Amino acid sequence: MKSRIVVLLIFVTLLWTMMLSRAAFLQLTPNDRLNSLKKRQFETVVALKSRRGDILDRKGNELAVSSAAYSIFADPKILENKQQVAKMLSPLIGVNQKEIFGKIKSKKNRFVWLQRKLDPAVKEQIAEMKIRGLGFVEETRRIYPNDSLLSHVLGFTGSDGKGLEGLEAQVNVPLEGGRENVTMEKDARGRPLIVNGQLFHQLPDGSEVQLTIDRDLQFMLERELADAVVRHQADNAVGIILDAQTSEVLAMANAPLFNSNNAANVSASTRRNRAVTDSFEPGSTLKTFTIAGALRDGWLEPNTRIDCEGGKMKIGKRTIREAESNEKHKFGMLTSAEILAFSSNVGTTKIAFKLGPDKVRETFTDFGFGRRTEIDLPGEVRGIMHPLPWKEHQFSNISFGQGITVTPLQMANAYAAIANGGWLRKPYIVKAIRDVSTGEIIETQPKTLGHPLTSEQAMKMKLMLMGVTMKEGSGYVARVPGFPVAGKTGTAQKVDPNGRGYIKGGYVSSFAGFLPANDPKFVIYIVVDQPRKGYYGATVAAPLFSRIAKFAVRQYGLNPVLISEDDIIKRPTEISRELASRTKVEKEVEKLAKTSSVSGLENVSVADNASVAAGVKAASAEVIVPNLDGLSLREVMLRLQGQSVPLKIHGHGFVSSTRPAPGAKLDDGEELAVFLEPEN
Amino acid sequence: MSRQDVTALKPFFSVLIIIASLFSLVFFNMETRRLGYVVLKLSREEKRNRDASRSQMIHLAKITRPERLHTVAQSRLSLNTAEAGQIIQMTESGIALRQ
Repeated sequence: MKSRIVVLLIFVTLLWTMMLSRAAFLQLTPNDRLNSLKKRQFETVVALKSRRGDILDRKGNELAVSSAAYSIFADPKILENKQQVAKMLSPLIGVNQKEIFGKIKSKKNRFVWLQRKLDPAVKEQIAEMKIRGLGFVEETRRIYPNDSLLSHVLGFTGSDGKGLEGLEAQVNVPLEGGRENVTMEKDARGRPLIVNGQLFHQLPDGSEVQLTIDRDLQFMLERELADAVVRHQADNAVGIILDAQTSEVLAMANAPLFNSNNAANVSASTRRNRAVTDSFEPGSTLKTFTIAGALRDGWLEPNTRIDCEGGKMKIGKRTIREAESNEKHKFGMLTSAEILAFSSNVGTTKIAFKLGPDKVRETFTDFGFGRRTEIDLPGEVRGIMHPLPWKEHQFSNISFGQGITVTPLQMANAYAAIANGGWLRKPYIVKAIRDVSTGEIIETQPKTLGHPLTSEQAMKMKLMLMGVTMKEGSGYVARVPGFPVAGKTGTAQKVDPNGRGYIKGGYVSSFAGFLPANDPKFVIYIVVDQPRKGYYGATVAAPLFSRIAKFAVRQYGLNPVLISEDDIIKRPTEISRELASRTKVEKEVEKLAKTSSVSGLENVSVADNASVAAGVKAASAEVIVPNLDGLSLREVMLRLQGQSVPLKIHGHGFVSSTRPAPGAKLDDGEELAVFLEPEN
Repeated sequence: MSRQDVTALKPFFSVLIIIASLFSLVFFNMETRRLGYVVLKLSREEKRNRDASRSQMIHLAKITRPERLHTVAQSRLSLNTAEAGQIIQMTESGIALRQ
């Protein structure tokens, strides 16, 4: 018995030793086959993808955002009660019941998509049904909350989340963030495990891109352009608003609009951002730069007189004419400022001929024509500027904006160079890129590309362009009450894309300008392509400019520069004080009327303040300049109320001096210049 | 308890400590795993909340888009676009100006 027990013990011990040895062998010696088996059983590879970053406007309003979305798939082999499943899913995923059933009825397929990119709430509802054989894949969905706003600039993304057009494509890399495949251990149910303190981690979101665009200005611009396309039965319209000092793009719009959320359903030509991808013959808006060329050459001044030969000029066999052949356009001698104001083709040609093609071409190049502006938008073209030599008639045409093509952005930026004192800046639309995980911000800095004009020459150009919006100028309707506007109208014939020459009755109407002309904040360029109801830049684009400019100055709270007494709103206490002073004036007038021998004063009505003042002035025969030092503009107005003294206000704040000085006599009609300075 | 009794119990305590250590090891491993599942559940909950918050943010952006505000202002509140002279602006020098 004892020996049997010993044998059994030895056998069991041997068995255990063998098992432990085998276990030790398996555990301690490396074995590729076993390692791969272990990996397959206990490890899973999770593909982590960053959420695409947001695109914001300059004030932080969302223009493009991404949110989680879930795509639902089915394994028809596992799925049971298919008719019932199709019936339950149909209203939730928005797919026809028959269509769902058609996808899941065959057991041959192991994977079919039922619907892509569902809302998380819908996913939760379906998950709660606990239907075996259904699964979800998390994806992201790009949403444009403002629908059509800025759609041509933003572009859109594909179903894989990559940017395909516009800014989405241009700044795809920072927006997209990173992708990473992470190997993790899982349990028997496939849930990821925490091993050695390693947490199931997520990749940080893609960078946030902030634009220079102002959402409100953009909306206003788009609405006005869309209205103009309908009103003038035009093919399309383009508008750009730039910051006059830095060339930041505050708004860039095309009409007709399209909804970025359904970009795939819109034709490629409608989606094109014509502000940078299309070039066209600009017409008279280019005259500004021919004249600027002559100005910087030194021989032309705003008052230099040019003979415009009665509105006709023979060049070889061809005749250059003004826009219209009526009496009004048969110009004789005009100053260069008037040539710009009346948009004379003959005058501009004569200036260009005196300047020479080399210098005209050089000027255009210096203002950025014929080369890309290098804006951070895709698809920019450089426009067409033919190489020298130019034939005479071709040169003449080019001088007033035909036979050369420019993009709307080039034109707006060239006007910005005049507005900011002669510096050509690089326009940009991406203000900053913020790394969401580190908070690091890369800001775009304004970059100068050239210096086509000195500040003095730019000032002269501004003055000449202001003449365009004066009473007799071609851009009178572009004026904005309270603000001096500098700009130029353009009416160009449209090139026939199917042959030589121009389309009969086809025009491109435009207006380029900036305001306030004394200290420009906005450069606005409007182009209306082939308007069929009216076609002159002065009647189509200039009123549009005025409406947009009015909105922009109100939106940014700019103080009017041109103030008339009617604009000032008086407080009730001031009104009653004023009435009291009127009574005093009335008594004074009556007294004067009684004592003086001036006839007719008895009938003066005190209701008419100006006539009373005139009466006082007539009676007293002279006006003495009062001491206005330290008074505010309102107090000055009150002090001088009732005296018909022509005032010229300079600056803002409180009165520092007057010209003539206090105590001096003011001659009849002489202007009193009041200089104001801020309090400190 | 005499010294001899303690000496006699030493093997028992040793075995007890070993068993307790093994049980503790198993317990802590199980606890780590359980906490892992709690963390996983909470991280999913956090993600769900983040998604919900983002959905709300997107909804807010949609309902405050300028086009909608413009339509609501005109159709429901009977407001009109401001005309010249209707806007009063306070300038830096304290003058109220019509714009």
